[in-house]
Amino acid sequence: MKTSTAILTKQCKDSLHNFPSLMIMLIYPSVAWIMITAMGSEEDMSGFFVPMFAAMHGSFAPIAISSNILSEEKEKGTLRSLIMAGVSSVNYLISISLFVILATMLTGCAFLLMGAFTRDHAVKFAAAMLAGAVLSTLIGLCIGICSKNVTAANGIAVPVGLVLALLPMLGRFNSTIDRVGELTYSGQMSRLMQDGTITVQMMAVLGAHFIALCVLLTLLFKHDKLK
Amino acid sequence: MDNKMIELNNVTRRFGEKQVLKGITLHVNKGEIFGLLGPSGAGKTTIINILTGQLSCGGSARIFGISCEKIGREVYRRTGTVLDNCGLYDRLSCADNLRLFAQIHQTPLFRVGEVLHQVGLDGCEGKKVKTLSKGMKQRLGLARAILHNPELIFMDEPTSGLDPATASEIHALMNELRHKGTTIFLTTHNMDEAYRMCGRIALLSEGKMVAYGEPAAICRQHCRTAALNIVTADGEKLLLSNSPDHADVIAGLMRSGQLRSIHSCEPDLGTVFLSLTGKELDQ
Ligand SMILES: Nc1ncnc2c1ncn2[C@@H]1O[C@H](COP(=O)(O)OP(=O)(O)O)[C@@H](O)[C@H]1O
Ligand SMILES: [Mg+2]
Repeated sequence: MKTSTAILTKQCKDSLHNFPSLMIMLIYPSVAWIMITAMGSEEDMSGFFVPMFAAMHGSFAPIAISSNILSEEKEKGTLRSLIMAGVSSVNYLISISLFVILATMLTGCAFLLMGAFTRDHAVKFAAAMLAGAVLSTLIGLCIGICSKNVTAANGIAVPVGLVLALLPMLGRFNSTIDRVGELTYSGQMSRLMQDGTITVQMMAVLGAHFIALCVLLTLLFKHDKLK
Repeated sequence: MDNKMIELNNVTRRFGEKQVLKGITLHVNKGEIFGLLGPSGAGKTTIINILTGQLSCGGSARIFGISCEKIGREVYRRTGTVLDNCGLYDRLSCADNLRLFAQIHQTPLFRVGEVLHQVGLDGCEGKKVKTLSKGMKQRLGLARAILHNPELIFMDEPTSGLDPATASEIHALMNELRHKGTTIFLTTHNMDEAYRMCGRIALLSEGKMVAYGEPAAICRQHCRTAALNIVTADGEKLLLSNSPDHADVIAGLMRSGQLRSIHSCEPDLGTVFLSLTGKELDQ
């Protein structure tokens, strides 16, 4: 417990001094804000932009950040020094995930301030963001475990993150993409953020992703042991 | 377990096809500075990785009498490690780096200031690690390793790439630690460092141990051509082999008051290494 708090604190300080990762965390909320402000007072524009950018934020940012943290710690040898100080790998992964999820939720709150949400919709919006953050963090950790250094991790994390982030947006313009997007968690997250209705398909897609990613992460972890 | 901190018995390790360690047997006593000396690629870091539970191995490796395969929190609490690449957080300050590990080890936070003072980094608390010189990083790494007063410290080439002044500061710190009873497991490719710092050493070449024991004893043992280095009163230098033939020459010099100095010249560790393996120690 103390160890987790220590790692969380360290990660907060470290990320605040890490310009690229700050950018990733803030880019989508900032762009959404700029778009809404630029469009002026047209009410429905925030209803369009906020869920769109929020879904991108919830899928791209956690993947990029978590894979970046893990691969950088491997590259610089800091992970090894943590482990040699007696930190267990599982404890480390949980602490880092917690940080990424908290950071995503915190920066994701900015979207709530930009749109006109009812209370019920706001809760569902936050739930969607949480689901997205958790699943994306799992993907990011898988990528981080497989990569020896930051460059390798970014090479996988950026395309994967972009596809997941862009699918729901492109789905609005093309029905084929929309049908594919429905099968991804980011597509379902985007839906829940837009209209706040929970469907059976949504729960199924999110659940299936969660189970599949947990299994994948466990297998990768057993195989590579954070080396 | 008596006073053996580390025991390796016929330890082997391979990476794919490559046999990196070929049966290493050694032990490290409590309170000594033990040196693992060998050129780069000899397998020094691999041995540290095995001893710290990062790699599996063949044979038996024990630390504090505990098998290295079963290393857990208690062992990590009793050991400190200075890695060859430091493993420090670049974007954090010195104090923040140490605070993190103090919290992990559940050591009181006042130790942070103490160890910074001990390694001569007073006033650097707020400095970002990425702004430090190599020598300062190495000292900070050492500060982190001693934060929780470990009984055993692993140091992987702590002075490689440092200027002699900084290196000797690190040596002074190591001696200080040894006087307090800390055991140090040092790897180096610097024979002078091994000779001066270590109570006992193992010479490693391509995963094989070619010599083991006190540095001076190793040198004497492998002293094939015992020679005498003589300087006469005129400043003339003579190198005479230690044989009866030369007794008269030396006696003559002594009688005529011509003998200014006479030294036996044992080979140094580099020469021993060269004669044992046919390779230079420092490439
Ligand atoms: N993870 C690894 N995979 C493959 N080969 C390795 C690995 N680690 C070390 N080696 C090989 O083992 C040998 C010894 O390496 P190392 O212990 O790092 O040497 P030293 O620390 O003495 O310079 C080297 O030839 C190196 O190429
Ligand atoms: Mg090495």
